[in-house]
Amino acid sequence: MSVRELSAREIAGLVKRGELKATEVVRAVFDEIKNNEKKLNALITIMEERALKRAELIDEKVAKGQWKEKALLGVPVVLKDNICVEGYPTTCGSKMLKKWISPYNAGIVDYLEEAGTILIGKSNMDEFAMGSSTEHSAFGPTSNPWDLERVPGGSSGGSAASVAAGYVPLAFGSDTGGSIRQPAAFCGVHGMKPTYGLVSRYGLVAFSSSLDQIGPFTRTVEDMALALDVIAKHDYRDSTCWTGNRPSYSEAILNANIKGMRVGVVRDFMEEGLDDELAQAVEKGLGILVENGAIPVDLNLGDIKECALPCYYIIAPAEASSNLARYDGVRYGLREDADNLLDQYIKTRGKGFGDEVKRRIMIGTFVLSSGYYDAYYLRGLKARKYVCEKFKEAFSNVDVIVMPSTPTPPFKKGELVGDPIQMYLSDIFTLPVNLAGLPGISVWMGLNSTGLPMAMQIIAPKWHEVRILKAAAKIEETIGACPLAPGGE
Amino acid sequence: MVSRKYVTVIGLEVHVQLKTNSKLFCPCSSDYIGAKPNSNVCPVCLGLPGTLPVLNKKAVELALKMSCAIGGNIQKESRFHRKNYFYPDLPKAYQISQYDRPISFGGKIPIRTADGKKFIGITRLHLEEDAGKLVHATSDGRLHGFSSSYVDYNRAGVPLIEIVSEPQISTPEEAKEYVLALRKLVRYLGVSDGDMESGSMRVDANISMNEEGQPLGVKVEVKNMNSLRALQRALEYEQKRQMEILSSGGVIIQETRHWDDVRGITVSSRSKEEAHDYRYFPDPDLPLLVVSEDLIEKMAKSIPELPWEKKERYLFEFSMSEEEAEILTSQRELAQYFEEVLASGAPVKPLVNWMKTEVIRSNKEGKFDFNNPEINPQALAKLVKFLDEGKISNTAAKDVWLVMLDNKVGLEEAMEKAGVTLGGLSAEKLESIVSKVLDQNQDVVKEILEGKDTKGKKIKFLMGLVMRETRGQAKPQNVEEMLRSKLHG
Repeated sequence: MSVRELSAREIAGLVKRGELKATEVVRAVFDEIKNNEKKLNALITIMEERALKRAELIDEKVAKGQWKEKALLGVPVVLKDNICVEGYPTTCGSKMLKKWISPYNAGIVDYLEEAGTILIGKSNMDEFAMGSSTEHSAFGPTSNPWDLERVPGGSSGGSAASVAAGYVPLAFGSDTGGSIRQPAAFCGVHGMKPTYGLVSRYGLVAFSSSLDQIGPFTRTVEDMALALDVIAKHDYRDSTCWTGNRPSYSEAILNANIKGMRVGVVRDFMEEGLDDELAQAVEKGLGILVENGAIPVDLNLGDIKECALPCYYIIAPAEASSNLARYDGVRYGLREDADNLLDQYIKTRGKGFGDEVKRRIMIGTFVLSSGYYDAYYLRGLKARKYVCEKFKEAFSNVDVIVMPSTPTPPFKKGELVGDPIQMYLSDIFTLPVNLAGLPGISVWMGLNSTGLPMAMQIIAPKWHEVRILKAAAKIEETIGACPLAPGGE
Repeated sequence: MVSRKYVTVIGLEVHVQLKTNSKLFCPCSSDYIGAKPNSNVCPVCLGLPGTLPVLNKKAVELALKMSCAIGGNIQKESRFHRKNYFYPDLPKAYQISQYDRPISFGGKIPIRTADGKKFIGITRLHLEEDAGKLVHATSDGRLHGFSSSYVDYNRAGVPLIEIVSEPQISTPEEAKEYVLALRKLVRYLGVSDGDMESGSMRVDANISMNEEGQPLGVKVEVKNMNSLRALQRALEYEQKRQMEILSSGGVIIQETRHWDDVRGITVSSRSKEEAHDYRYFPDPDLPLLVVSEDLIEKMAKSIPELPWEKKERYLFEFSMSEEEAEILTSQRELAQYFEEVLASGAPVKPLVNWMKTEVIRSNKEGKFDFNNPEINPQALAKLVKFLDEGKISNTAAKDVWLVMLDNKVGLEEAMEKAGVTLGGLSAEKLESIVSKVLDQNQDVVKEILEGKDTKGKKIKFLMGLVMRETRGQAKPQNVEEMLRSKLHG
């Protein structure tokens, strides 16, 4: 068995027992990257030297009988390039930050290193996490490892592709409106957006602060739980990070039992605007849960599908317009010199940002401006409250909800890039979950008739990731773990 | 033409830098004065990508303390907003401030006016962060016309409270008194240095004028007043300017004007960058600021006797004059010293006289520090008692006081050094002084004996010399008797 086929848990086990050297893992990973990166373009920064040093240290420790308690010892990891690693660029897929070197580590980077992982590289993404195809990257698009003509989804497309192609068993992305779950679905891997506040956002470059959340991509549910065990910690550096106690996710899914679990299915969501095979995939997933003792419940979520998209495209751009204002060429990043300050701002931001980012900054600036605040931003907040209430109502009756991850299978490169609204619609099933701050997973459901990955989304009330993992584990028992994509060979 | 009577309406916005060790949202030192530029900075206060604010508890406590002192209505839940605008001294391109839900509403501060005591209402008090500082080739604060400017972010993120007064101030003199009262208060509370010159207290004014009995006039905001004198001068100038416009039938334009201290005028700053739409919205990185009843109570209890309360008490309890009470309560430490000396047995009246003359003078000369009094209260109490009981003269007491200060010695040693004895001079000592004076002024003696002192001026001259030699310790009639008996005997 080659390294690329191993799960994170398997690698950690072998490394701890001294049966596999961390240096061998790292060499295998970089061989893989070298063979495939030209066609995939999944990574922006490759950290080979750092990874080798780290692996040597791990091997040294293991030889001395140390570090055996580390849950992810020797596991190679890819981070989306909006997560800061000290001493390395964090480009956010933008020209603006192409040369910016972060002087500090994100919260989760500290946690991952503590758990024994080896950082391999920083992955490609839609600029500042705005997009659903990874085509809006200043570093070129990433290809879907299942079909190189197609997009891997986005914005965390590089991380999803890295796991699907077998570069690494574990990668991290950020999800603001579906940016983990949608690319997971497109690339045939599992991807989870945890409850807002479960994972520290410290060091995650902000897109929309009230929606952003970091989460893992894996090929097994077990790895997903393991990853959550490591990253779901209270971090005082993020004031929105939950102070409550997190359970052991790995323990919670051992011998998972879902008997009596009430599973909601939103029939409205299964009708128009959804690919037939993806609708069948959700039915199939629901069927598997019911076979395992779950109770199906038909749900009505009111108009959330209709109001989530407009609501999201008010709130997220509003916050983004403020979060991205700091890129002004004064302190760091790109600076276009000019004769006066205003021109310096205009030139720097005009050159540094791509079209999609500019589009959202303009929308956000507009909805917050004094004459329009009430008509847009305030109404957006009201719509958001409505979405939260509808979910709350639903969860008074069910334990989890299943729904599609995406309305379509992965689309072709260039297909939607000129049609922003259609592109936005590919997040129609994931957006409401962010608005309500809920946890959601996109779980692998096999290939469709044309050989493209299918997925299903499972969501739960806040802080109930365990329910999601249990249900996903049952699905995986039947469907199987995510296979490596052919494009990664 | 009937001359019309105009009323002036002034409201002040005062920014007070809080005396905390660290900044409002990060652990950097907030002591920026004299620090090397950009030495007290970290990723958070530089607004680097991915960083998040964490609220400083101490700053909240100081804001609460101030709210309690002015009788503000403390809000158990308040909120931080983002005030968005581009400027190089603002690292995130937004300032974290409070907007529609400040930490406190209402309250009042008593001030002295020509017509007696007056209360100035407080509209609100809120917490916010300071910006950095631009350094130009010249100091007039404009960016235009310079080839380059520098930014020092040491001050960025330093905690401020903004105290907004009701428009209840009627004259520039009252405005000065209000700021004085506020300054005294923040110093009493230990909330701030309250120093206008160094910028730890900054005042912006809104001033309008209207005919008596008519609605409020158009207000003008005046900025850039860096001292109490500048504040008063700027408002006097603005009063005159507005009155001239109004009485000649002109219209006041609503605008911001900058005080030019050198030219003694206010100058309109109608530049593009002043026309802001701040696009305020709740900062998604910070949860609601919730303050407990316990904390409010704790802060209320920590408040010392307030300057105006102390003054009232002095007026009532010690029958001081208005001026005396004002002087003795001008600084908390001075009042405290006064009370300690009083408690050590000094009689009130002579002590008050001593405090307002000798102690204040020595303090101004840099010889006496209220914070760390060079003379212990018991020593001063004894000295004042001796003075009051006529055991030593006023001149002698001053000598002793200065000897104590200059030589850092106790009362007895100082009296010995100054040649001061209790109960005045012995007869022998006086006799020897008289003899000495007569010896040294034989020409005068001769004239007196020749009967030329018809008006008694010459004998008075000799008396004066003797009194001086005795340091005022002899009784004049004793001196005169002895002189006459020596001259004629």
